[in-house]
Amino acid sequence: MSEPSLLAQSLRLVRRELRGGPRGFGVFLACLFLGVFAISAVGSFTASARSGLLADAGALLGGDLEVRLVHRELTPEQRDFLERRGEISRVVGMRSMAGPAASDARTLVELKAVDQAYPLYGRIELAPDQPLSQALAPAGDLPGAVVERALLQRLHLAVGDRLRIGEAVFVVRAVIAREPDRSLRAFTLGPRVMIDEAGLRATGLLRPGSLVTCAYRLRLPRRESAEALKDDLQTAFPEAGWRLSTWRQAAPRVRQFLDRMGLNLTLLGLCALLVGGLGVSGAVRGYLGGKISHIATMKCLGASGRIVFTTYLLQILILGAVGAGCGLIAGAAVPFVVSRLAGDRLPFPLVPDLFPGILVSAALFGLLVALAFSLRALGIARRVSPGILFRGYGRAEGGDPGTAVRIAIAAAVLLLASLVVATSADRSLALWFILGAAGCFGIFHLLSAGLIRAARRLPRPGNPRLRLSLANIHRPGSPATSAVFSLGLGLTSLVIIALVHANLDDLVTETVPAEAPAFFFFDIQPDQTRPFEEALRRLPQVSRVEQYPTLRGRITAIDGTPVEETTIDPEVRWAVRGDRYLSYSAAEPAGAKLTAGRWWPPGYSGPPLISLTADLAKGFGIGIGDTLTVNVLGRDITAEIASLREVDWSTLELNFAILLSPGVLEDVPQTHIAAVHVPPSGEEQVFREITGRFPNVSAISVREVLGNVSRTIDRIGGAFRAMAALALLTGFLVLAGAVSADQHRRIHDAVIFKVCGATRGDILATFAYEFLLLGLAAGLISAAVGSLAALAIVTGPLEAAFSLHPAIILLTLGAGLTLTLVLGLAGTWKALGQKPAAWLREE
Amino acid sequence: MPQPIVEIRDLHLSLVGGSGPVNILRGVDLSVDEGETIGIVGPSGAGKTTLLMALSGLERPSKGSIRVAGTEIGGLGEDALARFRRRHIGIVFQSFHLVPTMTARENVALPLEFAGIPDAAERAKQALDATGLAHRLDHFPGQLSGGEQQRVALARAYVATPSLILADEPTGNLDSETGGRVMDLLFDLQRDQRTTLILVTHDRSLSDRCGRLIRMEDGLLMAAPGGP
Repeated sequence: MSEPSLLAQSLRLVRRELRGGPRGFGVFLACLFLGVFAISAVGSFTASARSGLLADAGALLGGDLEVRLVHRELTPEQRDFLERRGEISRVVGMRSMAGPAASDARTLVELKAVDQAYPLYGRIELAPDQPLSQALAPAGDLPGAVVERALLQRLHLAVGDRLRIGEAVFVVRAVIAREPDRSLRAFTLGPRVMIDEAGLRATGLLRPGSLVTCAYRLRLPRRESAEALKDDLQTAFPEAGWRLSTWRQAAPRVRQFLDRMGLNLTLLGLCALLVGGLGVSGAVRGYLGGKISHIATMKCLGASGRIVFTTYLLQILILGAVGAGCGLIAGAAVPFVVSRLAGDRLPFPLVPDLFPGILVSAALFGLLVALAFSLRALGIARRVSPGILFRGYGRAEGGDPGTAVRIAIAAAVLLLASLVVATSADRSLALWFILGAAGCFGIFHLLSAGLIRAARRLPRPGNPRLRLSLANIHRPGSPATSAVFSLGLGLTSLVIIALVHANLDDLVTETVPAEAPAFFFFDIQPDQTRPFEEALRRLPQVSRVEQYPTLRGRITAIDGTPVEETTIDPEVRWAVRGDRYLSYSAAEPAGAKLTAGRWWPPGYSGPPLISLTADLAKGFGIGIGDTLTVNVLGRDITAEIASLREVDWSTLELNFAILLSPGVLEDVPQTHIAAVHVPPSGEEQVFREITGRFPNVSAISVREVLGNVSRTIDRIGGAFRAMAALALLTGFLVLAGAVSADQHRRIHDAVIFKVCGATRGDILATFAYEFLLLGLAAGLISAAVGSLAALAIVTGPLEAAFSLHPAIILLTLGAGLTLTLVLGLAGTWKALGQKPAAWLREE
Repeated sequence: MPQPIVEIRDLHLSLVGGSGPVNILRGVDLSVDEGETIGIVGPSGAGKTTLLMALSGLERPSKGSIRVAGTEIGGLGEDALARFRRRHIGIVFQSFHLVPTMTARENVALPLEFAGIPDAAERAKQALDATGLAHRLDHFPGQLSGGEQQRVALARAYVATPSLILADEPTGNLDSETGGRVMDLLFDLQRDQRTTLILVTHDRSLSDRCGRLIRMEDGLLMAAPGGP
């Protein structure tokens, strides 16, 4: 008679095992569901946003190709070159003050003047609905403007009211509901106001040197030819000093930001999955622990270890596929749900879709975690001795899974690590994550072992309940390891996120020195500098004013080599990405600290010299005597580096990375910028006086900007906190699973305790002490490990000063304690109420 | 003259089963003097174990009174009963009922710990010494033989020097030789501590060692024929 195949036998047994449903696998399924959901949700959402950005690239950029110039327009020759290649649209942007025509209230706005061709791609949506050209056209004697709703709220205006910008008054005709090429920056300095070009001229804000950006968008007959046209433009006008972007590069920073967010959130999701792995391991161990006599009986009846192993492995794989599958479906649905619920409010377009690659990798993560964390218990079950049937008190704990299973566990862990690296956009971060996760597991393993050992070695306390609870912690099968591990890992990730967030917030709000300026005023015309300064002097609240001429220019060559061909430290690459503010000064700026070279002598009028900040010089790999070429208004100026300065940007004092010697830029159209120091109580009056008297001058309130930054950090922090909370929730699930797996033992113990004379209070106190001690241990360990990790992140990659926030630590400790106690006691409530007689009868 | 330590009057006890209430004890009267050894025999389902449970306060009577060591236990609440048990009653079960995750010494120390006795561990060690298990102090139940486990259970029942020991088929799970040794120990401890012992058993050789034998049938007590 031929023996049935191993698989056939095992499948038959699995079918019988699963007849009772997934009983005992609740935590197993929930842990895999949550972990896989987190990973697939983040992946699907980021991918949907990426496809949205790509699909909408033309509209986001405003055309297939954009030519951006600061301070000036295209030359007729350049414009002619472009017009011959496609349809052209010009958008002029600047910052300005705007306020109700009837009052002196003012606020900073992002002004945008558009032509008739705007928008080349997409559609602007207005409320009430009307064509843009009609909304902006003059009706009566006043031109129209359309604005973002935030402006109306800030200035208490309504559609139909009058709005003053510079020297012109506009009628607000509509609210902008959707702007196709809307700004994708994390925050802007003010709400959008859109007018037409005639309206802009009427404001009188277009003065020489005003900080105006002209963007020329082109719609090409063939979108793909944009890259070639970009090359042609660079060849035809090498000195133009413009910035060229094609639709493929639309919103590069948003894309980078999304990628970075996506990567970090995925790693946090993976944390949740790894914490969930502990739940998987606990659930499988508990399930197989309850099957020991069943397995022993099967073995007595002739089942081999292989049959036992294969049967339960198949069962775990089937249930794992169910948990992970549900997680995948829920995760894949996230972009669809978000798009439906908040599509218009998102700062980027979303094109929901199913992304098989992302779903496959999330499923693989789930499967490998299920395997890596359940193989040990399976190996031990495989080696259960049938002899156990002849002894009482079979123990599920301990045991050796065997060499083959140990190798299989190592292979699953290695595959998991490889998958993390392979699916990550940042390999080195992925490797750091793996090291960190391995370190965390190692630390928590050692700490939980240490805690159990300490509980065993501690002198026996006089209080019998405390003594029993200590014994409960170190007894075999105690949930101590699960509690410290799962709750500890979850709480640690929450402490890290909360502390990093609090420190970033400190950086923005608290570390700003008291002597930081209250306002930066810009676009001060050269002929206004004197009256402007005099007006400020008449205001008693103003304690200090600093004024500098300012222009925009971009670095085009470093020591004679074009920037595109030089190797620049990524830390300072920002300096060559676009136009930067630069200035000139005869005298050494107050508070400057020269680190190399010398300041130019008084009355210097020789060849152009530059004073550069030391960090830029280091990042560019240049020093005293080398040259830097900056393009200002299409003209290249090459200057020798005469000195290097150390600048502390965190003081928010008026500083420039590039300062030129006098005699180079004086004749170039320019404006002035002023930093004004005012105590908070005088801010409003100074703001009203100055913006009322100089309508073309714009003001940035440092307090408002910092508020914006703080809100942005809060929003980003929210996503991270949600992910950490998911890891913590998984931790609680694991703990709940561990407590519930321990329930039968606790009922047994409670009955024996009652027989031995324990009151319900004794039993409650014993369990409560036990969970309090565990929660305290998990909380303390999390606070310590989380603080150390946050210290490393804040002082390392974020390069900021770290401060410990005791409130956050205490909150973590409190949360750890309370939730462990609540979960623990909820899980043991049944034990407390158990009637001994009924239980003894059944046993 | 010895005082009665147990006085049961007209004890009734019903349990609710799947097909309605079942009258297990149907008017039991019993008086046991201090230091007496009582053997209760009878067929399965006669109510022997239920009587022990009612005596230990683990089962609440439907009617009648139970007075143990001068206390009417029928009116005590669950926690008061627990406190009463820790002072006056030791119980030995057929299936030992040790806490499997506690060592032999920890199991024996339990009643003393609940009673707040400071040297519980030392006294548990002495009790295990007395049962010949000094070398098994730190062993878990799973590491002990059946006979050893029952000796741990005996030590636990006697450690707090209770006035009454209730033993329910203490040798039911042991072979005759081991059972014999455990019973020698049970009676030795009873004699040394002058404890009152009520023993439920099917084993005639065991019941014969008791000072008085009572037969239980259908929820009622009657003097056993052939008893001493």
